[in-house]
Amino acid sequence: MGAANDTAQNIELAVDMRNISKVYPNGIAANQNVNFSVRKGEIHALIGENGAGKSTLVKMLFGMEQPTAGEILLNGKEVQLASPAQAIEHGIGMVHQHLMLVPSLTVAENMVLGMPPKKGIAIDYQAAVRMTTEIAERYNFKIDAEKRVMDIPVGMKQKIEILKALLRGAEILILDEPTAVLTSNETVELFQQLRNLRDDGFTIIFISHRLNEIKELTDRMTIMRGGRFMGVHNTAAITEQEISRLMVGRDVLLELEKDEADPREVVLSVENVSYTNEWNKLMLDNVSFDVRAGEIVGIAGVEGNGQKELVDILFGLRNAHTGEVKVNNASILGKSQRVIREMGVSLIPEDRMLYGIAASGSITDNILADRYANKEYNVGPFFRAKKIQKDTEQLIKEYRIVAKNQSQQVDMLSGGNIQKVVVAREFSSRPHLIIADQPTRGIDVGATEFIRKRLLDLSREGAAVLLVSADLSEVMEMSDRLLIFYGGEIVASFDDTSTLTDEVMGEYMLGLRRQEKKELEELAYV
Amino acid sequence: MYKRRMVVFNILRGLAAIILALAVAAIFIFLASDEPFEALKQLLIAPLVNFRGESAAFNVQSLYQILALMIPTMFTGLGVCVMFSADMFNLGGEGAVMAGGFVASLIAIYVPMPAGVHPVVAVLVGTLVGGLVTLIPALLRVKVGASEMVSSLMFNYVVMYIIMHYLNNVFADRSKGSTQSFPFIETAKIPQLVTGGSRLTYGFLIALVFVVITAIFMYRTRWGYQVRMIGVNPNFAKYSGMNVASTLILAQFIGGLLSGMGGAIEVLGRYNTFLWKELPGYGWTGITIAILARNNPAFVPFAAFFLAYLDRGCQLMSTHSDVPSEMIAIIQAAIFLFFAAEQFLSGARQKLVVKNAQDELAAMEAKTVQEGK
Repeated sequence: MGAANDTAQNIELAVDMRNISKVYPNGIAANQNVNFSVRKGEIHALIGENGAGKSTLVKMLFGMEQPTAGEILLNGKEVQLASPAQAIEHGIGMVHQHLMLVPSLTVAENMVLGMPPKKGIAIDYQAAVRMTTEIAERYNFKIDAEKRVMDIPVGMKQKIEILKALLRGAEILILDEPTAVLTSNETVELFQQLRNLRDDGFTIIFISHRLNEIKELTDRMTIMRGGRFMGVHNTAAITEQEISRLMVGRDVLLELEKDEADPREVVLSVENVSYTNEWNKLMLDNVSFDVRAGEIVGIAGVEGNGQKELVDILFGLRNAHTGEVKVNNASILGKSQRVIREMGVSLIPEDRMLYGIAASGSITDNILADRYANKEYNVGPFFRAKKIQKDTEQLIKEYRIVAKNQSQQVDMLSGGNIQKVVVAREFSSRPHLIIADQPTRGIDVGATEFIRKRLLDLSREGAAVLLVSADLSEVMEMSDRLLIFYGGEIVASFDDTSTLTDEVMGEYMLGLRRQEKKELEELAYV
Repeated sequence: MYKRRMVVFNILRGLAAIILALAVAAIFIFLASDEPFEALKQLLIAPLVNFRGESAAFNVQSLYQILALMIPTMFTGLGVCVMFSADMFNLGGEGAVMAGGFVASLIAIYVPMPAGVHPVVAVLVGTLVGGLVTLIPALLRVKVGASEMVSSLMFNYVVMYIIMHYLNNVFADRSKGSTQSFPFIETAKIPQLVTGGSRLTYGFLIALVFVVITAIFMYRTRWGYQVRMIGVNPNFAKYSGMNVASTLILAQFIGGLLSGMGGAIEVLGRYNTFLWKELPGYGWTGITIAILARNNPAFVPFAAFFLAYLDRGCQLMSTHSDVPSEMIAIIQAAIFLFFAAEQFLSGARQKLVVKNAQDELAAMEAKTVQEGK
């Protein structure tokens, strides 16, 4: 094992975060007693799955969040970082995953945003251009200062973000999944520049979940899982298999009694679906699989490997570029959400606050959303208020939603109960196909158990279920068949999940292994 | 029980805001006037009480005038409620009022019809034209993504100048000293509800009927439900299978219909001829009313009454006291500002309520879990 703790105090630490805990107001403990120390002049990877707490940790380092407990030391001195402005003052710079540039302004204007060089009261544009060119040359970045940001490629935008941080005096650079939007050539160039910066004495924190990149670029790494610190290691001294084992792993299992599945006719068939996103990146690469009535098909994978795009396409929220998607033998491509729902498809959306609920609406309003136009709830132009009330009360009881009454505003409920409202609606429409995208993310154990049980019951009663989840124990426990996504492709397919180990799963999910084409084809259509 | 307590609390809070607002107005009056008590009396009491020497009597004619002022603003207020509920800041109510009034006038002048039918037809056509005025910015928004706020605001002036062009060049009565149309045919006028010169017409009753209809539409029909849900969260509405685009258009069309109806009823009830030479301002008042009423149609009559009373009081103050008319505008603004601020502050209060409720529910949940065990 390549343990690399800084017990010896003679090593100079740029960042030392000690026993950091962070509990969000909604009760989610994102960090628990995390230790994170970065040496001066190294490239240090912060690695973990989505939801492992990496973002929360660096947000605290950049002053965007305050820790609930623990202390932060910069260059050996304890600091309080109440805002990003203070973090910048302390020489910390952050390059966000979603680049925060103003597209209609030029590169130079973006560079000096918030700190423009002045000539009297006017902004000295020429000085801004000069400053930009100077700093770009000093660090050997090739950029055109006078181009508008909207006209330059993503890789260039990222360089500008890095230069922006350098211009503001950053000595510690945080890069949040910088390669997610880059092509491979751009990635190679970025890595070279990051190495140059390190050699110039800058400290770089590199957040990622791509093992090959981390092996290639970084000196040391801190691994996180489920909000906990899983150790710090020298990159050269640890194998990819070991990283994957530390990174991906199951927490305590909720025991679930499961009958053998009895798959019948095909309900959902996905044929050769490909999708390229707005940055011209291939997110789905010729994906094909079936889901049959009475079975649960799970999709596992590290987030950002095409699962989200797939779910959107299956529900008509995005258009596939090629391929065909059929539900009960009828194509759903190009159909509206109403028609797709009428064909018997239900969706538990990944982002429940954005898609799943109308936050300031009542529970009744939220239950009614997919059925308000049904005959049973309308007489002529009017709602049958009594019938609506009765059915809502029935669902509240059935799904054990803890609320005062059915007119309670949904955003007053706890996360678990909000999700139960979504689930009550989606499950009670007698669906043929249920797409459950992260159905239990961030909710309490009781609600989680309840929702999983319900999902299982529905599948055994004959519904086809497609379960997409980043929670390994969930997909492994629930699924009758399991597909693993990596880089927009199905890289593995298992029709028996009971013999699978976390290690094997991790290796497929992180792209270290893949099944042969032939093996896959046989298994994808059992 | 809990609900009733909240209603009482809200009403008390509203009254407190009004009293505070009036206190601020009083400060301005004391600064500007040599006879502040006379001015205050005119502003606050005179709209309903007639003073003759030492004696005071309830002034019913003045009450009628206040109610008459509410007729067009109730309609525009309702229209804005529907549009704002869909989260569409369509400001075309103003143009819709003017266009509705103008087209209804043309029918009242040039198309002879039997007595009972004439005003009905004129108002309905005016209503439809009002709907078209807000429909255009709505279509621009949905089809090409143009901000409905900007386009409706500008479109008001387009509507106004088109009307002015036709009034000046085609329909003007040249025998009159000022620009106005020919007189309406007697059969087209909306009859008065009471005797006297208050201009309180049957239009007031129609407005109240539409308060009920709009409230039912918003809270008791599937279309109103769609409008509300889209206003709360359009992503949710789309995902649930609602047709967001057509509902946005519908909401704005209805908003324009109501405003157009208000304009038509106002013109045929208050005047004998069409003589608006600029935007009449009822559309703006409608926005104020919708904000005060929190987009709830049921509260529209109260908000409209409050503003009409204030209007009448300010009118009386400017004629019967030495407070200059500019000061009147300031006082009116101060009162509105206070009341509106209370409404906006209620957003902060809402957060508190949410938090309390969440705590309470968490306790409930803990209890259920324990009982389950």
